[in-house]
Parts: sequence; structure tokens; C-alpha cells
Amino acid sequence: MPKISKKSAVKFNVISHLAVIAGLAVLPFIIENPYYLGITNLILIYTILCMGLNLILGYTGLLSLGHAAFYGLGGYATAILMTRYGFSFLPALIISGLLALIFGMLLGVPTRKVRGDYFCLLTIAFGEIFRLVAQAWIPFTGGAMGIVGIPIPRIFSWTIRSETDFYYLGLILVVFTYLSLVLLTASRFGRAFVAIREDELAASVMGINTPAYKILAFSIGSFYAGLAGSYLAVYQTTITPSSFRLDESCLMIIMVIVGGMGSLLAPISGVIIMTLATEAFRSLADYRMLIIGVIMVTVLLFRPQGLFGTAAFKD
Amino acid sequence: MFLLETRQLMKHFGGIMAVNEISLSIEKGEILGMIGPNGSGKSTFVNLLTGIYTPDKGQTIFKNQDITTLPVHRITEIGIARTFQNLRVFQNISVMTNILIGRHAQIHNSLWEVYLRPLSAWKREKAAREKALEFLELAHLTDRRDELAKNLPYGEQRLLEICRALASEPELLLLDEPCAGMNPVEMDTLAEFIQRIKASGTTIFIIEHNMRFIMAVAERIVVLNMGKKFKEGSPLEIQSDRGVQSIYLGEEEDV
Repeated sequence: MPKISKKSAVKFNVISHLAVIAGLAVLPFIIENPYYLGITNLILIYTILCMGLNLILGYTGLLSLGHAAFYGLGGYATAILMTRYGFSFLPALIISGLLALIFGMLLGVPTRKVRGDYFCLLTIAFGEIFRLVAQAWIPFTGGAMGIVGIPIPRIFSWTIRSETDFYYLGLILVVFTYLSLVLLTASRFGRAFVAIREDELAASVMGINTPAYKILAFSIGSFYAGLAGSYLAVYQTTITPSSFRLDESCLMIIMVIVGGMGSLLAPISGVIIMTLATEAFRSLADYRMLIIGVIMVTVLLFRPQGLFGTAAFKD
Repeated sequence: MFLLETRQLMKHFGGIMAVNEISLSIEKGEILGMIGPNGSGKSTFVNLLTGIYTPDKGQTIFKNQDITTLPVHRITEIGIARTFQNLRVFQNISVMTNILIGRHAQIHNSLWEVYLRPLSAWKREKAAREKALEFLELAHLTDRRDELAKNLPYGEQRLLEICRALASEPELLLLDEPCAGMNPVEMDTLAEFIQRIKASGTTIFIIEHNMRFIMAVAERIVVLNMGKKFKEGSPLEIQSDRGVQSIYLGEEEDV
């Protein structure tokens, strides 16, 4: 293989990035069919969710089965703020993210010292509590019927109405998620998360306050779920508790595992494969889960670290 | 001047007295060795010093500060670093990143700087990388910086673990059985490396099973037996002490 000089490698890198950005920017003009564009928007939502989950699961090694609850928190926060309190979208979006962050911290504090499997159980419990509260607290959340008639979002003079508009909004959120995660994971914070995943005792001996860093990873990861939920609320114009069941948390975990843990972009491949698979086999209704299961088992058997991942589950 | 001093440090697990009133001091700049048969409490003692265990009784004083109940990460921050008996490098991460994680406490970027002042955060990162290279240089591991730690030969992983500890710029370095599993050539490399660390001004405390190694490297040796301090002295004194010989080899009449 010919040796590639550093300069030309950098040049290639810049060009390939520009090509990807240009491709993403014109994508709605290539996919004109609104159904396909809708699927693309779904992929964007799951990309935000899974990038956040990857910080928790792939980088820090915490198995959280409550990600859908933070997604739901963001969704309900935006729905309630916009329908009842007349908030416009941008502040509702930011508050939704922060609310998920705060709840991440609140759940993180009591769970910071429990071992992995107990942490996992507690996140399941939190997810179920959230869903039950959303279902039962009818005056506030609308119960099983949820909240309908969420207004059309506007950001300054941009009214977000068509699938294409939502595509660009989703793209902006994905880019924001990605860039902020690049900053975080390239810093001593990101390295501390990885150190905790690899060996928690050794990490603490390196001067890392491991309980605090676990809470940090968990709440930052949840923040992105809050953003995704907020997007979902204005995209669907309705929000119901059934969108935030345990199945949803499991699906996100499968996406991250199939795509690959511990590298920022790897989960996207899992998101695309899983979203397309669920859509393609829509006619099979609940039997779809069978196919999803087969995909996951196949990937884990042949590539335990996922398609593009760097970290695998430890024994 | 004492850098670290323990006063009647005590720890028991159930009915077993793992560390029984051990008082000792480590002088600034020296290489202190600790030996003792299996189960004599050496590793428990190190775990007490580094905050992994909290003692039932007694005190640890480091630089005139009581550190007995400080959490593990705080003890690293104030200047004590360690390695582990059973090698705990971060396996799936590059050698360079291992060192940078070791330097965690020395990179003073806050979360706000990471997000809102990325340029100044990046400058500190760059400085940390350059510093990390110096430590790799010290252990002759510079060429290995981009390899995953798990792909290094055993002896080099041991050196990497020491480098990672050094990266926090400790005043006191604790090495828990650094030559466990090493071949004689690797041991020579290690001895030479330890001398270089000492020359840079770091105080070193080594726990070791290998007599030949500890006698050659340490300037003063403490012997533990059944959780108690049994003897303290120069390597020559320890080597010729009949009591020490008997705890290792058993009483003469037993043989």
C-alpha cells in the first residue's frame, strides 16, 4: 500500500467532510417522497437519542434502560409549555433538554454507587414510573390520550411546517449533538468516562471522582434525549405515553450495540439499519421484533464490538 | 523530613487482622522497600495509604496533612500515585490515552472551558500531550504511543502502568509488586527505570516479593509478618537477620 502523506490525508479528510455536509444539505431535494423524508426524520431523531445513549453506554459503560423516559420528559415538557403556557419552540426546546439533564442528575445521585446490574434495574424502574405517571396524571399529561394540538414551531422568522423544514431542524440538532460531543469526548472528561468503563477502581486512582463523572455522563446523555423528545413533540403535534415504553429504550440500546459503542458516529449505522428494518417489515406488525432480534444476534456473533464500534461488552 | 507517616494503622476483615498497628515513615527522596510472606498485609497496607480501604484505627499523614479518610481521587490529587499488583492498565485504549488519563488531575480544564472556550481547552490538551511524551520517553515507550495497551508485551505494560502513575506528577509513587511475572531482562529494565524516577526527585515505596530485586533497588526495607511490622533496616541488615530468614523459610527445627 502506498504511504499517504499526512498533508494529503488531512486534505482528504476535509474534502470528505465537506462532501458529507453537502450531501446532507441537499438530501431533501433527492428524496422528494414525503414518506421517505419522514423516515429520514425518524433516523435523525434516533441519531440524537443514540448519540446521547452512546455517551452513557458506549463511553461510560452504564447500561441505562430508561433512555425513553428522558426522551418522554422532553416531549411532555415541550408539549405542556407550548400548549398551556404559550412558550415558543426555542425556549421550550432548551428547557426540555435541561429538564432531562436535571432528572438525569436526580436519578444519578442515588444510583452513583450501585453496581452495574442494579443501576440497570433502577433505570428500568425510573422508565416505568415515568410512563405510569404520564398515563395516570390526567389533568397534567392528558393520560393515555396524551396531549394534542401542539402548535407549529417557529424559530425567529422560520416556520417549521413541511417534512423538509423538519429535516433541516433535525439536521441542525444532530450537528449540534455531534459537535458538542466531539468537544466533550476529546477532553479529559471524555477520557475519564472511558477510564470508568475500562476499570473503575483504576480510574479513581487516576484522580477521577468516579461517582461524579458517572452522574455527569448520565445527565449529559439524557440532555440529548430531552432535545429529541422536544423535536418529536412538535414534529408529531401530539405526544402520548405509548411512545416512551421500555421497548423504545431497548430499541435504542440495540441501535447503539449494532452500530458500535464507544465511537461517536458508529451508532448512526445501527440507527439507519434498525429504522429501515422496522419500516420495511411494517406489515409484519409485532413479528418485526423477531427480525430485529435476528439482526442483533447476527451482529453480536460476528462483530461483538458492533459494526463500527471500538468497545465491546466486558465479561 | 518525613513525606509520609502512618500512626498505628489498623485494618481487620472479619476476624482476620490484616494490618495491625503499623507505624512507619517514608523519607523524602528515598526508595523504601516492603517485603513479607504471602498474606502478611502488604497489599492491604497500600490500599489503606491510597484510600481504597479506610483504616479501623490509626492515621496517615502526608505532607503534614491528615489524609486518613480522604477519598481515592483526592489522595491522587494531593500527590500519591500507585500501580497495582495485578496490572490494571486500560486495555482497549491507546498507550498515549492511558498516560493522558493518568494526567487527569493535572489538566485543569473545566466543563465550561471545554464547551465555551474550546481553543484554550485545546491548548491545555496539547500541552498535556507534549508532557505525556516526556513520560513515555522516560520508559522508552515513545514508539508505542498509538498502540492499544493490550497489544504491548507484558513487561512494557508494566512500564506503561508506572508511566501512567507518574503522569499525575506524584511526590510519592507506590509500586505494588512491580516485577510480578517479569523475566530477568525485564527486571533489569525496570530497576534502571526506577533509578531514573528517583533521580527526577520522586519518592518511591516498593512492595516486592522478589528478594534479589528489592535488595538491589531499595535503600531501606520494612519487613511485615502477620499484619505487623517485624523488622526495619538496610538491605544488608535485613538479609543477614535470622528472624527474617525464619519467617520466610520457617524455623530451623521445622525444616
